[in-house]
Amino acid sequence: MSTDDLEADLTRNTENAPRELLTRSFFFLCAALSVVTTISIVGLLITEASKFFSLTAPLMGVAGETANLVDFLTGTTWQIHSKEFGVMALISATLMVTIGSAIIALPLGVATAIYLSEYASPQARSILKPALEILAGVPTVVYGFFALIYITPALRVVFPNIGTFNMLSASIVVGIMIIPMVASISEDAMSAVPDELRQAGYGMGATKFDVSTGIVVPAALSGIFSSFILALSRAIGETMAVTVAAGAQAKFLNPLNPASYLEGALPMTAAMVQLLTGDITGGGLAYRSLFAIGLVLFVITLIMNIISDFVARRYREVY
Amino acid sequence: MATEQDSSYAQGFGQVSRTAGLVFRYLLLAATMFGIVTLAVLLVYVANDAIQPLTADAGWHLTFFLTLVLPTILVGGALYRRNREALKLGGMVVGALLVSLLFSGGVAIVFVDIIPPLTGFSYAVGLAVAVAGTVLLTKYETQIPFTARVAATGLLFFLSLFGVPGYFHSIPELVQQAPVVPTDWIILTLVLGGLTALVVGQYIARVREDTKAGVAAGASALVLTALGAIVGPFVGIDANALVVVTAVSFVPTAAYAGGSVITREELKPGLVFAATVIVGALVGAVAVDALGFAGPQAWTDWQFLTSSHSGSAENAGLYPAIGGSILLMVTVAALSFPLGVGAAVYLEEYAPDNRFTRFIDVNISNLAGVPSVVYGLLGLGVFVTYLGQATGTVLIGGATLALLILPIVIISSREAIRSVPNDMRQASYGMGATRWQTVRNVVLPEAFPGILTGTILALGRAIGETAPLIMIGAPNVVFNLPTELSSKVSAMPLQVYAWSSLFASEDFYTKAVPAGVVVLLAVLLAMNSIAIVLRNKYESET
Repeated sequence: MSTDDLEADLTRNTENAPRELLTRSFFFLCAALSVVTTISIVGLLITEASKFFSLTAPLMGVAGETANLVDFLTGTTWQIHSKEFGVMALISATLMVTIGSAIIALPLGVATAIYLSEYASPQARSILKPALEILAGVPTVVYGFFALIYITPALRVVFPNIGTFNMLSASIVVGIMIIPMVASISEDAMSAVPDELRQAGYGMGATKFDVSTGIVVPAALSGIFSSFILALSRAIGETMAVTVAAGAQAKFLNPLNPASYLEGALPMTAAMVQLLTGDITGGGLAYRSLFAIGLVLFVITLIMNIISDFVARRYREVY
Repeated sequence: MATEQDSSYAQGFGQVSRTAGLVFRYLLLAATMFGIVTLAVLLVYVANDAIQPLTADAGWHLTFFLTLVLPTILVGGALYRRNREALKLGGMVVGALLVSLLFSGGVAIVFVDIIPPLTGFSYAVGLAVAVAGTVLLTKYETQIPFTARVAATGLLFFLSLFGVPGYFHSIPELVQQAPVVPTDWIILTLVLGGLTALVVGQYIARVREDTKAGVAAGASALVLTALGAIVGPFVGIDANALVVVTAVSFVPTAAYAGGSVITREELKPGLVFAATVIVGALVGAVAVDALGFAGPQAWTDWQFLTSSHSGSAENAGLYPAIGGSILLMVTVAALSFPLGVGAAVYLEEYAPDNRFTRFIDVNISNLAGVPSVVYGLLGLGVFVTYLGQATGTVLIGGATLALLILPIVIISSREAIRSVPNDMRQASYGMGATRWQTVRNVVLPEAFPGILTGTILALGRAIGETAPLIMIGAPNVVFNLPTELSSKVSAMPLQVYAWSSLFASEDFYTKAVPAGVVVLLAVLLAMNSIAIVLRNKYESET
């Protein structure tokens, strides 16, 4: 009798005991929340943005003002008051910040990664790595203020005709901000290069310079490339620094013309903040344009994240 | 001929120009330092604008140099040569004092200004009753089925905190209607001092391996806190403020210093260093006051910290934004910590290796790359437009920021959970533990420091975010502290943004904005240093 009880007790399957079920379902719901978040983001952006375009608004049962999808995607004038929604004006500004910050962050970030993984002593690394983390930890609105108050006046010494709001200072601070991202991901990739490869290089009589540039960097190339894309995607989504420093006037500028960096323009993220800080009424055309820009921004950053992930996986040298 | 060629070849062999390598090396170092030095220069500029050290009298600088800087350098230098570990402890004690002082400011804002002490006390009593009831229930674990126990616990918490309107008073109501209510400082001493005493007592008991010593330490902590309230009014400091500072800052710092010295006798000289710094600062302050030297006319001053926005930069302050940031942080932590850790536990401990799990996995890393403005749009669209919440409240601000940092919390918690050795799990299962028992008793306690570090770093990210708050319609100017979850909220970075772009004027640029930036960065620095200390301690233990 008692041994039967004991045996029943010992062999009882606890997987589905009420307590186990309750805790497991709680944990599952927590994990499922991330999926719900993604679905909400995608669903919200698509439904709200489709109310914005004349092509899709009738499907959503929305009457009233709408904008033309082709004009939105190809137009180069962004004027809310005159109902001109040409997102290219915003994309050109975003592209400028991306190019400008890339020119600063990519070489510096890779050089930092090489230094940290190949040259720095453990002691130097233990100081430099947290110091670099601070660069990414400073709130972006503070960077925007730095660009506006300290960097722009300093740049004015070199370029006397630079505007109060300009793309150059915004690009510089965004570049500084994303250095740690390039550096840490690239360094991880370089540290993963096996020591045998380095030893083989030294055995052939190569110098440290040869080993770093000829062996380690090529072997870590996929990681370095994926860090570039991730950092640029971060620069595209960067909001407050460009809102404060880049300006409030939408303008279509040629990103490849260096002179246009001295002017101010309105990147996508800054345009979204501007729409919200201005007086817009919920449900109006300007309100819906917010979601249309948001959708463009989300799609661009998502594609870049996916490419980065793909490059890191597909082209990784497995040792 | 041929031999000549050979020898010239042999001469060149093994000789490499070192120039290229050296130039490369220093170029790399320069590149590494570029960002760090640029930021350092900018920080010096902003600190100079905010604190204006050059406006102080030369005598002021000289006094502090003699009382604080010189002794610190002398003692620190001597310790650096003889006993580096002790110097480290001394530095940690001073750092702990500074960080905990900052923290006590936050606690004072929440438990004195936002929640009146009596209200807080009444809920604390209600919570204590419910917890006591739950503990009592667990004693009868074997008699009552699990589901009944869960239901009973839920009912207990609900009844004691909210009651049944019209039939049954909740405990907070009963306490608030009591004919005799204790004064504010007694409440603060009992609740905050009591909590500190409990923690300090347990810590000392563990360090000394002596329960009696723990009880004595706890009791003296409580007495010290109460003493603060009694002495405070005589020296012209508010009793409530002194109680909070004693309970949150002085007593824990002292306990940390004492406990470290008890465990490692050789670290005692470190306390000399800490005492030199603290006494030096106090003596300097008193001497400057007595000699009549004027300090710097800093914009980050008491007035700035305690007043609200104003049309003129000189009178503008950050107080409602500080309170808003604290409430937002509490909300974000309360939402993102359980959800993030829960998701991490599911993915690491429960999830089967199937397509759905891999999808969640990819999805989380993609969510971490979504720009913060898009999360702001999510908050605006879902909470405001679809759920009809009011714009710009603490609740939706906190919920939006919680969603934003959730991927970061999940990723860092997963790393912490993954680093728990598998042997420990197997040992637990071998003892007959169920999966939940293993998670609760083995995995989570082991991974806790790592999880905490990741969460604090993520909270640091949340506290600096501005764009999502603008998106959900947080007002640019708030004149009062938010007192409820449904109050309109401002936050420190939002206030800085408002000053630097909406109230843009030379006056705000040179006074209010630098002051706000310095406060924001000080809070971030404190949070990050807590996280880094935790991480170092954790890494050295495992």
